[in-house]
Amino acid sequence: MIMPLIKGLQITISHMFKKPVTLQYPTERPDVKPGFRGLHTLNVSHDKAKCVACYLCPTVCPAKCITVEAGEDQNHDKYAAKYEIDMLRCIFCGYCVEACPVDAIRMTEQFELANYSRADFTYTKERLLEKK
Amino acid sequence: MVNLTIDGKQVAVEKDATIYDAAKACGIKIPILCHDKKLHPFGGCRMCLVEVEQMKGRLIPSCTTPVTEGMIVQTTTDEIVKARKLVLELLLLKHPIDCPVCDAAGDCDLQNLTYEYKVNMNRFVDEKFNHEIDYENPLIERDMNRCIHCGKCARICDEIVSYGAYTFINRGIEAKMGTEFDGPLNCEFCGSCVSVCPVGALNSRPFKFKARWWALQKTKSVCSYCGTGCQLTLGSKDGKVLTTIYDENQGFHNGQLCTRGRFGYQFVNSEKRLTAPLIRKNGKLQEATWEEALAEVTSRLSAGKSDPASVAALATPRLTNEELFLFEKLFRGTVGTDNIDHSAGYAHEALTKGAKASFGVTASPAEIADVQKSNLLLVVKSDAYETHPVIGFEINLGVKRKGIALRIVSDKKGKLTRLPGAKTTVHAPGSEIALFNALCKSVIDQGLAAEGVAGLDALKAAVADATAEKAGVTAEEIAAIAKDFASAEKALIILPIGQGYPGHNAALANAAANLAILTGQVGKEGAGLLIMSEKNNSQGAVDMGIYPKGTGLNAQAIIDGCANGNVKTLFVAGENPVVSYPNRAKVEKALENVEFMVVSELFLTETAAMADVVLPACSFAEKSGTFTSLGRRVQNVRKAIPAVGLAKSDFDILNALSQALGGARYNNQGEVFTEIAANVPAYKGLTQAGLKDEGAVYPVTLAAKLVPAAAKASAPAAGKLALVTGSALYHCGTMSRFGEGPMYVCPDAYAELNVADAAALKVAEGDQVTVTSGTGAVQVAAKVGKRVPQGVVFSPYHFGEGSVNTITDGSEVTYVTVAKK
Repeated sequence: MIMPLIKGLQITISHMFKKPVTLQYPTERPDVKPGFRGLHTLNVSHDKAKCVACYLCPTVCPAKCITVEAGEDQNHDKYAAKYEIDMLRCIFCGYCVEACPVDAIRMTEQFELANYSRADFTYTKERLLEKK
Repeated sequence: MVNLTIDGKQVAVEKDATIYDAAKACGIKIPILCHDKKLHPFGGCRMCLVEVEQMKGRLIPSCTTPVTEGMIVQTTTDEIVKARKLVLELLLLKHPIDCPVCDAAGDCDLQNLTYEYKVNMNRFVDEKFNHEIDYENPLIERDMNRCIHCGKCARICDEIVSYGAYTFINRGIEAKMGTEFDGPLNCEFCGSCVSVCPVGALNSRPFKFKARWWALQKTKSVCSYCGTGCQLTLGSKDGKVLTTIYDENQGFHNGQLCTRGRFGYQFVNSEKRLTAPLIRKNGKLQEATWEEALAEVTSRLSAGKSDPASVAALATPRLTNEELFLFEKLFRGTVGTDNIDHSAGYAHEALTKGAKASFGVTASPAEIADVQKSNLLLVVKSDAYETHPVIGFEINLGVKRKGIALRIVSDKKGKLTRLPGAKTTVHAPGSEIALFNALCKSVIDQGLAAEGVAGLDALKAAVADATAEKAGVTAEEIAAIAKDFASAEKALIILPIGQGYPGHNAALANAAANLAILTGQVGKEGAGLLIMSEKNNSQGAVDMGIYPKGTGLNAQAIIDGCANGNVKTLFVAGENPVVSYPNRAKVEKALENVEFMVVSELFLTETAAMADVVLPACSFAEKSGTFTSLGRRVQNVRKAIPAVGLAKSDFDILNALSQALGGARYNNQGEVFTEIAANVPAYKGLTQAGLKDEGAVYPVTLAAKLVPAAAKASAPAAGKLALVTGSALYHCGTMSRFGEGPMYVCPDAYAELNVADAAALKVAEGDQVTVTSGTGAVQVAAKVGKRVPQGVVFSPYHFGEGSVNTITDGSEVTYVTVAKK
């Protein structure tokens, strides 16, 4: 009866002398590891988004949070006239990155996605474009 | 039958089958890139290689090898797979790997096979093609860099469409699919080439980048343009119809479509669609709620119940059978008026009066399948191709593959007249009845009449003075056609009817029927008379009784009634009399004069703009029901997308009105079909579920008898040209004007003149000319060619601006003067 109680207290007391696991966010910042799946970004090459609007990401997306609409530019090439991700639905599985045949979408280490209104969670193409 | 073994399976097939056909018959799929079931075997892609026990030592292309008795075939061995992989590697050597931006991806035979055969490496290296891509064409985008040289486009254009827009040019590695002088495409734009292209070399430009193939919702339906009743698959996404999808197993036509069917679907999601009811307030049409609009219409119609003769209703034959049945029940039953009609009153007479008198039924005795079973086709007007292009393809196939003899009697030449062996007799405009009477007389004179035909003496007396000269042709021509027709084992007369052909009336149907009956060419397959009604459900409108049956007014009389005040309330469901009925000025005046006009329409047409209440209706893609095609085939139409805006289907509109007026109320359109099956004798025993995908042809019992038809003597006016109206290949009725596809190719009204007449009038192609008749004058662009004979002008009737009905008055031929503007 008394032994398990002592054992429990032993563990509690031992933790008093260890480094705490809790991160004092936001004063302390986490160390984001490579391969972390955070906010998406659309890669840019030659001042243009690399995306060719092939619709593979909305096709593969299990949360159906990506909306793409293709357009035709002056050179008759296909481009994403509209590219939107509904961050409220996104489950950060990274399938979109895997499906992309042209390396147009990646996931960044940015994880601070809180916002004040629902509309702000709709990431349009402009918001997603890679900042250089 | 020939017996052979494929992959251990015993199969018996016809002796003209190939190994590929035999494998398909027993459910074994052989990969192939250059074959379509409608086309002759080609043997170009080398994907269908198989091994035959009796021909060991080499691989045999299965699509070009006929079966022989006792053949033992292997379709997949290691060696075959290796050979097929090599073929794919060689094709991928030049084919760009731009699947992410290619619209064919997902529906690409090369992509699918590459995946199936796991070709992920290529032993060979070469540069890709650098051909110029044709971006200019508004309907067909040609990217020859993606071409794999299967030749299907060239073959379908030649074998079925009979146009021949493509051919291989250059040799060896430089070979490519070329057009006339390697220039831009200038063809009929039927898109058959796009439909059979196994890769993305030929793409539908209106569908370019709109959606990926796998994201499309596919709905099997029926085309809503002409009366042929082609089945099509609509590809829709997010409530919009984006394309039509090719399915080689659909309908009698095996998925083959014309330019309207394939590229004319955009009217469904046109920005011009009406999305809310409109009510005229202070002289202007203003948006209103459905409650207001329906209350207004209900009060007018219930007031009309006490004086039913003051109420009239016109329906378009584009509605479904269910809607038309309800329409008939509402107006003839609940309101109690017999003033109901469709198609200008004359465009269905060949069925309601002509076929009724000659055969005892209000439908064609023949069906579409008879075209291929016939030995001789007698086509009235070369326009049969323009009004019903897919039946035109059937005629092409019959003539070229089966050697069916083709005789054309027409007031102008056309595409059909250029088919091999086609003999064309160009007669004086408007003399069709005289011509058929002369043919009947010639049959009797030559002693070719079938024995024991009742009423022969009466006919003999009626055609006693019918000479070839009256039709403007020679006696020899008449005698030759009469002889060919009478002596053919099975001969079929093809007669297009429609609002463009006021002369194709009951009398002409009788005259044509007389020839068929006189020569014994009725009551057997491949023979008789095929009356080709104009719109998708013209036959259905006749079957549902949308025409005056007693003392009611027909469409022309309704217009007159509106003008003289006898008709006070007019309900128009989808018709556009202002553009499609003869004498535009008269129609406009009449519709202005009528006290209350309600129009249910997809668009604010010229007629709807004059209405007091406009109800937004649904297109064929937004509703379910049935259409009956000209060959009496009842087919299911299926809803592909939700209604646009606040639009309601005509079924819902009529159902609401019927209930409000104390008539029947239905829960859904399926209930109406059950009632149709119980009330319309021809539809007895049919159910919507039982129609399935292929539909059902309802039977007719013929009581054929000779009905003498009097030819009207037309008096050509000196110094004037004879104007004949009709249909342009790219349009049907006035609805195709709202489809982008047809408008790219044929945007404006025109008048077609003979080169000699044009030279005399100093008119060149594209000049604006003023065409003047006793009724009015209209300005259109001139088209100059050798298709129309000297002294004749042809003009299609579909257009709102420069509409040809400004100068016509409903007679067979209008005599006009043409002057350069």
